[in-house]
Amino acid sequence: MRRRWPVPVLRHIALALICLWSLLPIAVIVLFSLRPARDIFAWPLPLWSAPSFANYVALWQRWPAFWADLGNSLAVTSGATLLAIFASTLAGFGYSRYRGKWLTASAFFTILVRLFPPIVISLPLFPAVNALGLSDTWAVLIVLYAAFYASLGTWVMKATIDQIPRELDEAARIDGAGTWGILRHVILRLAAPGMVASGVFVAVYAWNEFLFAFLFTTTRAKTAPLAIAEMIGSAESSDWGVLFAAASVQLLPMLAAVWLAQRYLVAGLAAGSVKG
Amino acid sequence: MSRGSATPWLLVAPTQLLLLGVIGLPSLYVMWLALTQSSYGQAPVWVGLQNYRTVLADPYFWRALWNTLIVVNVVVYGELVLAMGIAVLFAGGVPLRRAMIAVVLAPYAVSEVVAVMVWRYLMEPDIGPITHALEALGLPGLDWSVSPVAALGLVGIINVWMHLPFTFILLYTGLLAIPAELYEAARIDGASPWTEFRRITLPVLMPSILVAVLFRIIFAFRMFSEVWLLTQGGPARSTEVVALYLYLTGFRYGDFGGAAAIGVLMLLGSLLLSVFWLRRAYRGMFAHA
Repeated sequence: MRRRWPVPVLRHIALALICLWSLLPIAVIVLFSLRPARDIFAWPLPLWSAPSFANYVALWQRWPAFWADLGNSLAVTSGATLLAIFASTLAGFGYSRYRGKWLTASAFFTILVRLFPPIVISLPLFPAVNALGLSDTWAVLIVLYAAFYASLGTWVMKATIDQIPRELDEAARIDGAGTWGILRHVILRLAAPGMVASGVFVAVYAWNEFLFAFLFTTTRAKTAPLAIAEMIGSAESSDWGVLFAAASVQLLPMLAAVWLAQRYLVAGLAAGSVKG
Repeated sequence: MSRGSATPWLLVAPTQLLLLGVIGLPSLYVMWLALTQSSYGQAPVWVGLQNYRTVLADPYFWRALWNTLIVVNVVVYGELVLAMGIAVLFAGGVPLRRAMIAVVLAPYAVSEVVAVMVWRYLMEPDIGPITHALEALGLPGLDWSVSPVAALGLVGIINVWMHLPFTFILLYTGLLAIPAELYEAARIDGASPWTEFRRITLPVLMPSILVAVLFRIIFAFRMFSEVWLLTQGGPARSTEVVALYLYLTGFRYGDFGGAAAIGVLMLLGSLLLSVFWLRRAYRGMFAHA
């Protein structure tokens, strides 16, 4: 490393393979969504196929509920992201600036819960959610998704806020700011990268999650991944174009978000995982 | 700062309430549920350790456990080697570095459902493009709809595809933190690239490697969606993994007590695996308390 490689050609081959591995499945989804059905399972696969939006039209006609499901995904993702950022920022501030035995114990608890598999929790939650009348609502998914990422979010925020000099807190305090004033005028201004990172982690999870959506929603709050899973279940070989269209609509916004937030994501993941 | 004040508790309250309400208390309830017999609309009846005996005597449980352990090990260590290779390659300098990182990161944005869908298409027996390509090369395709080994193999491939970004980022950021002087010193001493890797890169990177492996094992151990969407555990329950076995026991066969016992076993497995990491986190945290 940090030296001239003996065989630069090998390095370029490796890079090409990495691109192929990462991007080929995604490219297939997006490009084949623009192909007529007969060009999807043809062999040899035609390299060029005149693009058409027929699959998107078919998606609109045959799965009219898909757009509502996408709306559910959007609502649940926004709700979970806001809730998780809110909770994690407060907790990250608390754990960064205050010390105490019981406080540390509660911080350790936030790490411990990361080991708990979601499916285990679903057993007692299933009857509880039904009893509360929350089955098949946005609320249940929002709370579940936020809870499962509040831990990572808290540690990302603690790592971010640890880097904000305490002198700024003191300066604000001298100017008469209380804890909430410091939070508002100092922390919130400077902790944005951490908030973006925590937000993207939750958003990716909430937007793509399958298990909880599968267990806790059926129709009214059904999310897009669940709708796509049902489409796969009922697909015949002629429906693949429609499936690719639905998958493209579900996939591309999140891919754009991940790429836009790439810098924060890389820093946040390193901070939240390693220093835990 | 002020001791004994309510402020820090108010600050951590929303997170703690979420975690307690959604994860902590339900887990305690699961531990109790595991000691009872219960089903839909039926009050739990205390049966002691009976559920654990039943589960541990069920050949399908052992089958699911074996499947899980094999897939988890192949996936996590295969992924580690791949991620390490890519991280070292990238740390050595690549053209268009940011764009290349974006490329490796891309599968992170993809839902399990969509990942299973596209890999299923690519590998569809007889008609999938990769199946055709393998045939053209004279290689056998992965007949995952019939063969359990091929099905779990495909589950493994999908799993590596989706989670390589995570492992890569952890290792890559770890690598970037290694001071360049270490390598310069080694080079002056005439070390070969392989020696540099073994004597500098690996030891310095070990904490990142351990964390990456631990997290991946814990997350891979929960694997459900990939298997459910690909085979639903079939044919003849041959591709079940532990989480799927739990789901079927609880939600299909209506045996909540049995499913809870499996859940407690999964939890114990996770805790045992991560004891060393938890100890480190615990010491690190209380050192500052």
